[in-house]
Amino acid sequence: MESDVTPDPLPHEKPFFSRAGGKIFIIWLLMTVVGVLIGFYAPHHLLPTLVSAEGHTVWLTIVLFTVLAAPVAAFVYAVGLYSLLGWRHKGSDTDAPPPDGPPMRGNGPMTVLWLTASALLVVVLLVWGLSEFTAEQVSHPDTLQVNVTGQQWLWTYSYPGTGVESRSLVLPLNRPVQFNVTSVDVTHGFWPAALGVQVDANPNVVTVITSTPNKLGGFTVRCSQLCGLYHAFMYSSGAVVTPQQFATWLHGQGAPTALANRTARVNAGASS
Amino acid sequence: MICDKPTGAWLDANDRAATLGDRDVAQCKGDAMADKPEQVGQPAPADSVGPEGRARPFGLILTLVVAAVGIAVVAVLFSLQYYTSPSGTQVAQSLGTATVNGVTMPHVALRFQTYPDSTGTVNGVQIHPSGNPSWPAYGLTNVYQVPAHALVTVTVRQYDSGGALNNPWFARVLGTVGNVAVVNGKVVSSIDPNNVGHTFTVRGAPGTDPGFFLNVPLPAVPGNNQADNGQYETVVFSFVSGSAGTYAWNCEFPCGSMVASFGGVMNAYGFMSGFIHVV
Repeated sequence: MESDVTPDPLPHEKPFFSRAGGKIFIIWLLMTVVGVLIGFYAPHHLLPTLVSAEGHTVWLTIVLFTVLAAPVAAFVYAVGLYSLLGWRHKGSDTDAPPPDGPPMRGNGPMTVLWLTASALLVVVLLVWGLSEFTAEQVSHPDTLQVNVTGQQWLWTYSYPGTGVESRSLVLPLNRPVQFNVTSVDVTHGFWPAALGVQVDANPNVVTVITSTPNKLGGFTVRCSQLCGLYHAFMYSSGAVVTPQQFATWLHGQGAPTALANRTARVNAGASS
Repeated sequence: MICDKPTGAWLDANDRAATLGDRDVAQCKGDAMADKPEQVGQPAPADSVGPEGRARPFGLILTLVVAAVGIAVVAVLFSLQYYTSPSGTQVAQSLGTATVNGVTMPHVALRFQTYPDSTGTVNGVQIHPSGNPSWPAYGLTNVYQVPAHALVTVTVRQYDSGGALNNPWFARVLGTVGNVAVVNGKVVSSIDPNNVGHTFTVRGAPGTDPGFFLNVPLPAVPGNNQADNGQYETVVFSFVSGSAGTYAWNCEFPCGSMVASFGGVMNAYGFMSGFIHVV
């Protein structure tokens, strides 16, 4: 007697989206779309108002890296999710799990694919990072020097040549600033996020980092290295002001009038 | 029959069953069971497996609930310990009103001391409940309460010895009315940065008045003087409190141990640090 039962099709005979690979592809695609959307929109809401060119570069870098990483991360999550749900052993503990599938070792095309994709991604990120890093190292003759000192649990800022030292970081608009960062005790992290810079403040070492404020407004400086009891309170406020306001502020902090005025003239030239 | 028959990279359990055939899968299961004879015929514990052989979520849910409750309890206890003092909160005493820069505001007073030995006693009360003989402390409490936007006049008796600051900038009087303090009757805007006993340094932070900052250096005395019996420096200063919130204060003189003398007592809450509740 002939059987009228139609045998189940073999996996490669099923429609692509009914197979595990197809399902994983769908999950991957959805997660990639979500990741790309997050890459484009989340930084805008998570980052503070950026007040420097370097801040804009940081924003662009975060967007680029997130978008490029989205399909890679999505692939890992998609396989992981499907492994947890689709390939989960659904029997009782007394049932033997189904045998493992064939190993991936020796799959030449797959190896070439992931090595090539990884290499391309890394090269893109390297070229981007080096080009942006090099662009930030350009020195300007009228760079404003600011010495940044971290101590448990406060930041202080001094402006060489003016005699001014302050707890607030006040910067003139459109003038390059070089931060000379150090610490008098433990390692701190100088992090004015709105300026797009962050560097460790190490004792007995001066670390240099530059930024060019290009937008008026206030910002905050935090410590990014866990530095002791009041690390959470190691905070100071800052502001980007016009050159004239900067000169007025310097004078108010005790800088000689002539020096403050000279600073204003330099700033006025830089911002024009 | 080959149980690990290669069937492609993306086979799921059903795919594999279809490829091998139900009978083969059953045979493979039997082979696998043969490798684990101790499991044959042994039912799983009743509290982990449901009637259909599926794991019950009860254990997971219970674990998550216990973890959440534990975290909440720790957070509450931490907050109680962190923002309060075992010695209580000193509420500023009202002095009426005062006018600063043409603005009339409440006027209140705070009084506290700095001691070289936190195990000492004042009127029978230990300066710090868990004091250490080599640890100095503000006393008798390190938590203060003042009204918002009020003139606060502080009187400090400083009994401790001292030395040089890590950063001489903290020898300046900053944030007080006129950026001055009165040290033993003399108005000063700074003191010798090499002879500082302690500092009273307050900063604003997000959630309070972020621009608020107060720094008052307290001159050192020649030797460590215990409790209220020895030589002291009297420092009086006034400041206008910021908006409501909890402000952190600490000492910026390196009076601890280890790195930069900011370990030990300097990194132990309640001795050389505290909070000001502005209400």
